[in-house]
Amino acid sequence: MTRTQDISIETVSFRSVINGSVVATLKIAFEVSDTGTGSCLEEFQDLKYNREGIGTEKWDGLLSIKTTVALKYVFPFLTPLMPCTQRSNASFERISLSADCLLFSLLFSSPLTESAHLLVLQMLILMIPCVAAELVIKQEDSPGLLCENIFLPNECNPLNFSSSNVERLKSGLEEYVLKHGNILNNKCDSCFCSRKQLKISSGVACSMESQRGPGLIVETVIAISELAESPCFRSCRNKTEVLHFKDFSPCSIPVASLSALTSIDWRSYGLTLRGGVDQVDHALIEWESLPPDLRIDMAIHCYRKCKHQPDRHLIKKAVKLALDDFKGKYTGFLLSAHAVKVCSYAPDLASSIAGIILSSNDSEFQSKCASLLGLMQPQEIGRQTVEDRIKGMIITVIETNDRKPEKIKEAAPLLFEDDHPQDPEPTPYSEDYEGGDDVFSFSE
Amino acid sequence: MEDLCNSSIKFFSDQQIRFADILLPHEVQARIQVAVLNFLKVLSAPHPAISNLPLVNRKSSNSRVSEGILTDVSSTFLSHSFCTRSLMRANAAKAFIRVWKVMEKCLEIVIQEKRVTQRELFYKLLCESPDYFSSQLQVNRTIQDVVALLRCSRYSLGIMASSRGLVAGRILLQEPNQEAVDCSACGSSGYAISGDLNLLESLIMKTDARYIIVVEKHAIFQRLAEDHVFNQIPSILLTAKGYPDIATRFLLHRMSRAFPELPIIALVDWNPAGLGILCSFKFGSIGMGLEAHRYACNVKWVGLRGDDLQLIPQVCLAPLKPRDLQIATSLFSSAILQDNYRHELELMVQSGQRADLEALYSHGYDYLGVSLISIALSSLLHKAGEQDIIRGRHFSSAICR
Repeated sequence: MTRTQDISIETVSFRSVINGSVVATLKIAFEVSDTGTGSCLEEFQDLKYNREGIGTEKWDGLLSIKTTVALKYVFPFLTPLMPCTQRSNASFERISLSADCLLFSLLFSSPLTESAHLLVLQMLILMIPCVAAELVIKQEDSPGLLCENIFLPNECNPLNFSSSNVERLKSGLEEYVLKHGNILNNKCDSCFCSRKQLKISSGVACSMESQRGPGLIVETVIAISELAESPCFRSCRNKTEVLHFKDFSPCSIPVASLSALTSIDWRSYGLTLRGGVDQVDHALIEWESLPPDLRIDMAIHCYRKCKHQPDRHLIKKAVKLALDDFKGKYTGFLLSAHAVKVCSYAPDLASSIAGIILSSNDSEFQSKCASLLGLMQPQEIGRQTVEDRIKGMIITVIETNDRKPEKIKEAAPLLFEDDHPQDPEPTPYSEDYEGGDDVFSFSE
Repeated sequence: MEDLCNSSIKFFSDQQIRFADILLPHEVQARIQVAVLNFLKVLSAPHPAISNLPLVNRKSSNSRVSEGILTDVSSTFLSHSFCTRSLMRANAAKAFIRVWKVMEKCLEIVIQEKRVTQRELFYKLLCESPDYFSSQLQVNRTIQDVVALLRCSRYSLGIMASSRGLVAGRILLQEPNQEAVDCSACGSSGYAISGDLNLLESLIMKTDARYIIVVEKHAIFQRLAEDHVFNQIPSILLTAKGYPDIATRFLLHRMSRAFPELPIIALVDWNPAGLGILCSFKFGSIGMGLEAHRYACNVKWVGLRGDDLQLIPQVCLAPLKPRDLQIATSLFSSAILQDNYRHELELMVQSGQRADLEALYSHGYDYLGVSLISIALSSLLHKAGEQDIIRGRHFSSAICR
């Protein structure tokens, strides 16, 4: 493969056709590098990006990628994804060329499958710096190359090479969601009028290196999209695709991850898990009564320099950290079931207190209340405004409290302080005592 | 210096007492308004929070005994222990809000200087907030929560409880600007005691009775009233038809203060519930412990007593019910139950039996009346030491046959 300064970058649309039927269509944008000349990403940043579809000739071919250096890693995951046919000898090889450059190649000897398609698109989530891919399509019984292309995947990527892996994962998942699984070239404007509709959080859990083995890092990114009127997602919104990566490549979700996900107390985030299913290339979590305008996506990345087994506890910790990060950043999201229930009482409480304020004939009292609420005179502004203000303040307290870990939640102050406080800690009112059979007690 | 004097006057035990003040309407309004201001101050603070409601604990564990030093009246009162109602406990949030809703209604009542009954308040709350109020009992308990929170009496909040009490006998009761009512001429139904404490406070009372007889049950009250026992021994009959309401206790207390020379004797069934009723009249209650102690009276337990069982045919004795045993357990745990009462209670539980006053009718329908007369005569002759019982002057000693 030769490179020149004016080489064009194209989007290739692959259609694998067997016996006249289209089996799969693949659109891939790849960044290419190689050893030596053209091995650094920056070299390609000025290249123009054009669209051009390939011919629609019927072809049924072998997709192979050339490798230039001896193999260092072989990723076994690809093998189960590929159909086992006579012509199937697919492998996915990653070769580490240098600290700055990584080349991976895809070798397909059988028609592209949907799984392989998704696999490649998922790779983009990782936004691994200097990841290079050379994608060459070759028809088995024809000499020469059918197609040879070089691609720039994220020309607008704001991340620089010093960004952390979790930042890249966040950026990658964001792009993945905005582009509906990286199928589109750009953000879907039909679903996302504003980027603010997509909220992202992350969590990182690490285990230290020990005698039992090298340390493990687990990164989790959670994306929640608010899609009030989305033409692209009319169904399956109550399901979450959990993409799993291991050592910088997609992999099927390990049992430890599925176990970690199903063991989380989702109710403390206002969610109820219906079940989790291990699909071919990702895990699918199903929710009970997720609000219809919400969609949740998740990516988990476990990596370490040496080979390792996924750690259930670490994965669970990373996911919880991401969930807590989300709660901390976005007010009102992922409220625990408890907080949602308490919030439901806020309107009635606000109504009672507003009622007391407005039915009083003491103008000085009403002025003081208005001042505390940051309002003008209650009689002038009306009951609804007073109620709404009180309700908003109550809900803010509930939501803020919900974000705090249990151990640092402080006891609320008492409405009245006793002149002679004797009790070290007042006890909650016991609901089962209501003056029933205690001595001398009776209902009057 | 003045504060020091004031604080030094209070005994330590008095500092422990929590009681409900009797307040004027504008004072109640002020307390409710302070509650709202405190709530809003905390809600709008730099570190905002939702305040918890501290309620004086209405449990036996928080009850104490106050023994009169110069009087022979002991009472039960509530001490400083308190519980909290919180919005943040999701299962108890409704109870928290109920307190605010009743406070809202109480403010309307006191501003208008009206009085409503608990029943009227229940229907109003049921219509306006059906999600929060579903029974009269719930409303009554919430009212007690407000009393425990604001530390003011239920009556000060403008809320009355209907009274079940009746008076008959040798007493004239006159409401201001009304004709006096002769309670000896009211028939067996007696004079109905109002639930309005102000009205009861304003009653002008005149009597030539020598005793006040407190009767547990309406049926016994009717029997004694029909037989005009109060004419044979000059007496006043009073009943609350069961556990006494605050109005009946209030009136009895007024009578005891107005006519201190009149001994108050009680006729209750021989079972834990009967003893519980006697103790309510005598010492007050825990359920309304913040105010009920005010109306404690020196009531003497005349009948039925354990010694009277010999008068009752075996066939008239009935087994104790599970509820009797529950009440007995409660009574045993009370600090105020004196030794001889405790002994009687032990006898009840050990025998597993109970006896109703009506069992005495096996000796004739006038037996009760005759026995009372005998006791009265004996008492006059012997001028028995007035401890908590008229020693030996119980029914069995009155047998003249």
